[in-house]
Amino acid sequence: MANIFPRWSNFLPLKIAVCAGTAAAGVALAFSYYATPKSLTVGYQPSQPIPFSHKIHVEQLGIDCRYCHSFVDVSGHSNVPTSNTCWNCHQHVQRESPKLAPLHRSMDVSFPGYDGKPIEWVRVHKSPDYVYFNHAAHVNRGISCQTCHGDVHQMEVVYQAESHSMGWCLDCHRAPEENLRPLEEVYNFNYSDADVSKYTTDASVKTTRDLGLKLKEQFMIKPKESCATCHH
Amino acid sequence: MSKRILHHPEVPAGETTVAWRSAGQLEDSAEFRQWLDREFPQGAAEMANEEDAENSRRSFMKLMGASTALAGFGMAACRRPENYIVAYTKAPEWVIPGKATYYASSMPRAHGATPLVVTSFEGRPTKLAPNQLHPDAEGTDAFAQASVLDLYSPSRSRNFLKSGKPAKRADFEAALAAIATDPSAKIGFLFGADDCPTRANLIKALAAKYSAAKFYQYEALVGDAGLGDGVKAVANFALADRILSLDCDFAGTDSQGPVTPFFNRRKPEGNGYTGKPDASKMNRLYIVEGAFTLTGGMADHRLRLAPSQVAGIAAQVARELGVSVASAEITDEKHLAWVKALAADLKSHAGKSLVLAGSRQTPAVHQLALAINLALGNIGEGKPLLAVQTDNKGLGTLANLKADIDSAAIETLISLTPGNPIYDAPADLKFAESFAKLKTSIHLGMRTDATAHAATWHVPAAHYLESWSDARSATGVYTVVQPMILPLYPDCVSELELLLAVASDGGKLLNGEGEKGAASPAYDAVRATFATIGAEGNDPWKKLLRDGFYAGSKYPLAAPVAAPVSVALPDAPTAKALEVIFATDSSIFDGRWIDNGWLQEAPDPISKATWDNAALIAPKTAKELGIYDQIISAEPVSSVLGVKSKFAKVGPDGEGENRVQPMIEVTVNGQTLEIAVLVSFGQAENTIVIPLGYGQGFDPEDELKRDTKNAGHVGLVGVNRGFNAYPLRTAATTYFAPGATTKVLSGKHYSMALTQEHHAMYGRALARAITTMPDEKKGSFENQLAHVAIQGNDSHAPPNIYLYKPETSATWDPGKDGKAQPLINDPLHQWGMSIDLTSCMGCNACLVACQAENNIPIVGKQQVAMGREMHWIRMDRYYASQKDNTFDDANPELIPQPVACVQCESAPCETVCPVNATVHTEDGLNAMAYNRCIGTRYCANNCPYKARRFNYFDYNKRNPLIANNLYKGPLGEKSVGEAPHLQRNPNVTVRMRGVMEKCTYCVQRLKDAVIRQKRGQKQGVLESGKPSSDFQVTTQTLRIPVDSVKVACQEACPASAITFGNLLDEDQSALGRSKRIERNYDLLNYIGTRPRTSYLARVKNPNPQMPDAKFVGKATIHMV
Repeated sequence: MANIFPRWSNFLPLKIAVCAGTAAAGVALAFSYYATPKSLTVGYQPSQPIPFSHKIHVEQLGIDCRYCHSFVDVSGHSNVPTSNTCWNCHQHVQRESPKLAPLHRSMDVSFPGYDGKPIEWVRVHKSPDYVYFNHAAHVNRGISCQTCHGDVHQMEVVYQAESHSMGWCLDCHRAPEENLRPLEEVYNFNYSDADVSKYTTDASVKTTRDLGLKLKEQFMIKPKESCATCHH
Repeated sequence: MSKRILHHPEVPAGETTVAWRSAGQLEDSAEFRQWLDREFPQGAAEMANEEDAENSRRSFMKLMGASTALAGFGMAACRRPENYIVAYTKAPEWVIPGKATYYASSMPRAHGATPLVVTSFEGRPTKLAPNQLHPDAEGTDAFAQASVLDLYSPSRSRNFLKSGKPAKRADFEAALAAIATDPSAKIGFLFGADDCPTRANLIKALAAKYSAAKFYQYEALVGDAGLGDGVKAVANFALADRILSLDCDFAGTDSQGPVTPFFNRRKPEGNGYTGKPDASKMNRLYIVEGAFTLTGGMADHRLRLAPSQVAGIAAQVARELGVSVASAEITDEKHLAWVKALAADLKSHAGKSLVLAGSRQTPAVHQLALAINLALGNIGEGKPLLAVQTDNKGLGTLANLKADIDSAAIETLISLTPGNPIYDAPADLKFAESFAKLKTSIHLGMRTDATAHAATWHVPAAHYLESWSDARSATGVYTVVQPMILPLYPDCVSELELLLAVASDGGKLLNGEGEKGAASPAYDAVRATFATIGAEGNDPWKKLLRDGFYAGSKYPLAAPVAAPVSVALPDAPTAKALEVIFATDSSIFDGRWIDNGWLQEAPDPISKATWDNAALIAPKTAKELGIYDQIISAEPVSSVLGVKSKFAKVGPDGEGENRVQPMIEVTVNGQTLEIAVLVSFGQAENTIVIPLGYGQGFDPEDELKRDTKNAGHVGLVGVNRGFNAYPLRTAATTYFAPGATTKVLSGKHYSMALTQEHHAMYGRALARAITTMPDEKKGSFENQLAHVAIQGNDSHAPPNIYLYKPETSATWDPGKDGKAQPLINDPLHQWGMSIDLTSCMGCNACLVACQAENNIPIVGKQQVAMGREMHWIRMDRYYASQKDNTFDDANPELIPQPVACVQCESAPCETVCPVNATVHTEDGLNAMAYNRCIGTRYCANNCPYKARRFNYFDYNKRNPLIANNLYKGPLGEKSVGEAPHLQRNPNVTVRMRGVMEKCTYCVQRLKDAVIRQKRGQKQGVLESGKPSSDFQVTTQTLRIPVDSVKVACQEACPASAITFGNLLDEDQSALGRSKRIERNYDLLNYIGTRPRTSYLARVKNPNPQMPDAKFVGKATIHMV
């Protein structure tokens, strides 16, 4: 009986398997790179109704985060400033700037298009509905705004700097010392190794990480990793 | 392969207690076993709807495969949708986004306002809790808990109606102005039975303005104690050592004063478990009643007797206590012995005892109760009973109103009562005929009910959480009603706003807000009232708003006098002439809550029926009438592809998807009602109990094809619900009617959704009961206490070996010391709970509170019948009777047991989850990560407590009340965006289809409390004035204060039966103390799950002199 399959076909199944395997691995790798928060959400930078610059307000003017995000250390939700918070200054400063038209519409009774309706800011950082992240729990225990939101003080337009994926959260929950700061430095965007000596006389504590380790013991920081910490 | 079943040990031969959940189980335990074996009732997991039978799993997979493949082509979902953050324009004071604010308010009710603390998220009231500062605080019942849902009810009235048709507001305003500018108008006002001081003031103003004005009061099921005009009796249970209830359900639907002290006195260790068990500190409750009520279930001695015969017992007690009564002696020797011992006990506790008559009982019973209380010296300041003078003086009755309309003394009526007189007035009053004679009738109500349609004008009412008002609590403490939100719909008017408009010169209607954004005119009126009753000025007013009440205010005392009583006892009912009891419904009260889904779906505490009412009869009576077998052996109908056959799989009591109940015809007072019938244990012979309030409207979907003319009276929740018994009631027989006959309607059936067999548990000594009376076999009270923990086979079960290691692996995951680490290792908090069966009465308050707190959806009658109800707390109700009960063998003990997830430390559910969606937390919770759950339901299968609930459909998103809507999948109607979604707790995930859920000890509240405590670190740093790096955080900084967090069920419980706290607080906390007392036991201890929720055995405190004493307190429940 003649051979139906020629000799070269002997290795065909293996070749197909290798190719398929490579293709599958490629798809998996591509998916894990392109379709995860690391690449999907990092860098998200929508344009806002008012081109508000954190760089000007924080870096140049030195306004504290909590002037506008006033409940960040009280509530789980970090609030976006109400129109009257902006108006406190901007009824005097840069009042005529056309960029502030939405604010005038919301606050300025003498403005032609005044409707008293709130400004619709575009949300940049969004965790899913089943995640209950609590700002107060973090900032009151020594985790800075900068840790999760990046160098906001340098941003002309806010963008998402970190992935905010669950793995990223857990990285820090497993090793909080990397990001722990003294409570005084939580809202300081320029905190560095140079500041460490202010908080300790111990010469062996040199880096922010060293200080973080010390604070971890002292503050009894034991971040939880169980599901109900964030999902309920 | 059949399912492997853990064989629980059998009950020993000497056991005299017989326990059961349903008639079917009592009769035929072989089939009931199947219910016990399964985690969900048979058929619960099958798609057996006729239209979707072809939607088998296979075709589903085909469709899904195709749609997944297609999804790749259209990349429509790739772009991130834009979300907006919309901050306030001007920040309101006190509102912190993401944090709840709490306000004191109250819910006005006929028996006295319920003081409340309202949780509000960014202006949305979501949850009610009792105001514990209030002197009359008593928890909240299911009605109060569910009332928040009324605010968001989709069927809530929101438009003006003229003769039942939508009308313009301007037209109504013109009509109102015409009334307000005519001081000679023959105007009548019909109020509810609640007491509102501002309204009492307005009555004076209105009487001055309208010379012909008359005022009336009406609520269908509020009785008159006959103590005098506007006089009511209020019990102080803290002072009552002995209580005799004459057909009075004071713990349930017939409140007689704050009831929490009664339950605190039930605990042998005292409230908070602070003392040694002492039987002498416990109170004792005797009750005479027709059918089981929640109060009857709590009683130490219960005599079942038709309501018409209660007067005979009362007269006998009175005679024994030396009150002269003109009546015949009772002849039943057992009853005589019962009364004798009872009277002696009351006598020896003169001045510290209490006799309560059911508010709907006959005047003779009320007079007897008053005479007995006076004879015993129980009435007065510092005594268990106070007679008080309310502000509701000089108000006419509905009969007076009818007479005045008929004689043309009243031509205009403003009806403000929460009652619905066109529907619920006694039938022989023919109130509707007179009502139609009125020239103008204005009805204010939250529902477009029968009266709304009959009236010339219907005005949509504002909810009490939307209005300014005031009220009096049970003892008359001045209590404020403050709005949480402007009316959801701009036309909703509050009672005071309408009255103020009528009282004003021009009759201008201002509602919600006053002119130019000022406060509602009701605000000024309430402030003015407070200035006269309380104090003037801003500070007392602010304190009133903060506390919710004005301390020190109370009703003046009245001095009722006993009149000579003569009792003409009617003949006892017989099988030929039955007695119909028109019962107050535990789910919808008098019918006003028929459109409240939470209450409709909460199973009746006794019958366990949801969504409907049914006639209840005692088993013996049913046998005499020859319908017992029909009721017990159901007629299960199987419907496959629309073809009905008789081979459906159902439980012994016919529970299941296609359960149909036989129907009977009840004829009484010349009226006939066709109604479904159920067997009810412990009910007096020859009585039929019919709960009132159902059958208000039917649409073409109705199973019995009843008349659809009233379809507009109810919304989707209330339509096609049960049977209306109001037409059977006459003015003379508002509570019970003698001389009824019944006929079985052969071939006629009605489907019912009963939950009594759902999630039935196996096990020995599930609920445990002991008695303070020494027992022949079980020994003294102390001895029984010592044996609670080893009842059932806990006495001889070997020590537990835990299946699952409570530690990490020493090899793979060691701690710093290189050894295995405990997995439940939080040094700050370890949560735990105890449930005291001594004070739990089974009232559903916890169940509804849990529903409000945890975003639990309703699933509708059809789904409940399949066993898919979602309540995280299941209220088990067991009956237990003694084989040798010679006093009354048809009077079982009733023992309720709330079961939610017990948070096993060694949880069987966790090990079977293939995706780790249910795992333990460090602080001892058995957590559910909903977003991880893929819906295998293995966990529910492995849960010995049957505490898990599965979302078979997207109940939150798809409205389950529209017929077949759930089965239409994506084509079904969505309910997203409708008002009920505003009630949701933002801190709890709303679960979708295919997700398992269960109790997690209100983890959102725990997290909130723990995080709040963490701010203490910052405070500490600020106070120390040193750098934070010098501050040493201690356990004390981070552990929440003792007993500072309450879970929703615990908070709502009027019986203080639920204790929750941190186990690490040990004896400082009530929880720690409760875990150390002898009554504490673990449910199914012998299977080794180490539950965090434990139970405290029920203690009954019988009187050893009573003939039935030795059959009391034996209700330890075995289910094998």
